[in-house]
Amino acid sequence: MNGRYSREITVAAALGLLLVALAVFAPNFFELQPLLSRFTSQMPALVAAIGITLVIITRQIDISLGAQFSMCAVVAGLVAAAGMPLGVAILAAVGTGIAMGAFNGILVAWLGLPSIVVTLATMVTWNEMLRLWQQGRLLPLPDGIQWFGLSQAGGQGLVIGIAVVLLLAAAWAMRHLAAGRHVYATGTDAEAARLAGIDPKRVTLGVFVLMGGLAGLAAVLNLVQSPQVQPNSGDGLELKVIAAAVVGGVAINGGRGNLWGVLLGLLLLTNVNPALTHFKMEPYWERAIQGLVILLAVVADGMKRSKKSTA
Amino acid sequence: MKRILCTLALCTVPFLSACKKSGESAGGEEKLTIALLPKSKGNQYFVTCEKGARVAAAELGAELLFDGPTNSDPAKQNEIVENWISLGVDVIAAAAENKDGLSTALRKARAEGIEVITYDADAQTDARSFFVNQATAKGIGDALMDNAASLTGAEGEFAILTANLTAANQNEWIEVIKARQAEKYPNMKLVDIKPCDDQKDKAQQETTNLLSAYPNLKAVVAVCSPAVPGAAEAVKQAGKTGAVKVIGLGLPSENKAYVKEGVTQAVILWKVEDLGYLTIKAAAALAKGELKAGAAEFDAGKLGKLAVEGDNILLGTPFTFNKENIDQFDF
Repeated sequence: MNGRYSREITVAAALGLLLVALAVFAPNFFELQPLLSRFTSQMPALVAAIGITLVIITRQIDISLGAQFSMCAVVAGLVAAAGMPLGVAILAAVGTGIAMGAFNGILVAWLGLPSIVVTLATMVTWNEMLRLWQQGRLLPLPDGIQWFGLSQAGGQGLVIGIAVVLLLAAAWAMRHLAAGRHVYATGTDAEAARLAGIDPKRVTLGVFVLMGGLAGLAAVLNLVQSPQVQPNSGDGLELKVIAAAVVGGVAINGGRGNLWGVLLGLLLLTNVNPALTHFKMEPYWERAIQGLVILLAVVADGMKRSKKSTA
Repeated sequence: MKRILCTLALCTVPFLSACKKSGESAGGEEKLTIALLPKSKGNQYFVTCEKGARVAAAELGAELLFDGPTNSDPAKQNEIVENWISLGVDVIAAAAENKDGLSTALRKARAEGIEVITYDADAQTDARSFFVNQATAKGIGDALMDNAASLTGAEGEFAILTANLTAANQNEWIEVIKARQAEKYPNMKLVDIKPCDDQKDKAQQETTNLLSAYPNLKAVVAVCSPAVPGAAEAVKQAGKTGAVKVIGLGLPSENKAYVKEGVTQAVILWKVEDLGYLTIKAAAALAKGELKAGAAEFDAGKLGKLAVEGDNILLGTPFTFNKENIDQFDF
C-alpha cells in the first residue's frame, strides 16, 4: 500500500479513470486535432512545473513564476517585433527569466529571507511593472514566430518535443547527477547537507535561477502557439504548477518528489476542465474538483507522515 | 513627413480659432476652454477619442486641452484636475480611472464654478452633471445576439466566452443575449458559457474544447475583449474558419488580422472617435447653458439627435466592425 510509487499509481489511476469515462461518454474528446492542441497548450505549464518541482524539493517556493512567465513573454515578443530573429527572442526570454530567478535566489539564499515573502514581492512587482508598461494591450508578433515558422503540426510537434526532452533530461539529472542529489539533500536537511560538503546557498540560488530560465522557456513555448502575446499571459500559472507538484507527490516541506508524479498531477488537473466541457457540466465545477484533488493529496501526505512518526 | 504635417495641423488649430475669437470678441462672447481627461493619454483608445474631440472643438471654435496620466494612474488624474481648476477652464470632461478618487477632485472643480461631465467611465453622480454613456447593456447584448443570428441564419448552437462567471458587466450582457435569443431567435440554442479569466490563451483552449465537445457549434460569442482573438485562433487552428463564426466585443486593432482572414466575422464596439466628439459637444452645450438637467435629447451635430436617459447621454447602438470597414479604424 505504501509502496514507493503509491502516489504516482493513485494519480495515474485517477487520470486513467477520467480518460475511460471520457472514452465512454464523450469520445469526441479523443479527436486528434483538439487532443493535440490541448496537449500542446499544456506543455508550457509542464516546463514551468519542472522548475517549481526543484524549488519545492529544496524546501522553497516561488510564486513569482507566473509573473516571470508574463515578463519573459513580453520581452520575447518585443524583441521579435523589433525584427530580431527568433533565436534572439528565445535567448532574451530565457535571459530575462534567469535574471529574475537570480534576483529571487540571491535574496533567499544570501539574505536568508523566506522565499514565500520574497517571491510574493517580486510577483507583484513584475506584474505591476507589466501593467504600467504594456497597459494590457495585446502585442502582435511578426509572421514566422508562430510555430517557430513551421507548419501547425510541425510546430506542435516541436513544442511537445522540447518539453518532453527537458522532462527526461531533468528526471535523469535529478537521479544521476551530483547536483540533483544536492537538491534533495538541501531540502531534506540543509545543515546536514552543509556538513556533507554541499553548499546549500549555491543549491538554493541554482534552483531559483533554473526556475527563472524555465519560466522564460515556457513563455516561448506558449508564445509560439498564437500570433499575439497578452502581457499577463502567466497569470495563475503558479497555482496550476504548484498544485500539480503537490498532487504529484512532491513534499511541500522539501526533500521528496519526482517529476513523473508531477507530470501525472499536471495532466490530471489540466484535463478536468476539458472533461467538464465534454461532459457538458457547468464550469463552476472546475475549481471545486481541482480543489478537492489537491485537498485529497495534502491529506494523504499528512496521514503518511503521521503514520511514520507513530511507527 | 506625415508627422510634421499633423503637428502643423494641430498647431494651427488654436491659431485659427484664436483669429476667429478676436473677430467675435466684438460680440462679447468668450472662447470656451474645454479640458478633456483620459484614463491614460498614451492609450490608443483615448488617442482616438481625442481625434474626435478635436473635430468637435474645431467646429465649436473652442479651445481643447487634452491631458492625462501617461499610464493609468488615478493620483495623476487628480493632479491634472487640480491644475485645471487653478487654470480656470470652463468645462472638464473626465473618464474616471478610480471612481471615488476622482470624484473628490471633480466636486472641487464644480464648487469653483467649473462644469463637469464624464465619459467612458463614470464618476459618482454628484460629481458631474452628465455622463456620456458609450453603450448600454441592452445595446451591447442585442448587437451581439443580432450579429450571431444574422451570421448563422438564426439557426443552430452557439456558445459564449465570458471573462469570469462573476463579472457583473458580462453577466448583464449575457442576460440580455439570452432574453434576445428567447424573444427573436427560437431556433438558436445557447449550449455553454465558459469563463476565460480575461486571458486570451485560456479563451483559445476553451474554444478548442467547445469545438470538439459540440461538433454542431455554429458560433462563438465572446463578451470580453481578450477572448475574441483567442477564440479566433482556436477556430483557425481547428480548420473551422468560416464554418464556426466568431464574433465579440473587442478592439478592431486586436482583431484586424482575423477579420481579414475571415475567421472573425464581426467585432462590436462603439465608434471611439464619435465618443470623443459627442463628449466635447455635450461639454460645450453644458457650459453655454444649452444642455440642462431633464433634457430628453441632445443635438450632437454630425451625430444627429441623441437620446438622453436621466443624466446619461447615449451614444447609441454599438458599431459593428467587419471585413468591409475595419481598415478605416486604428484603435
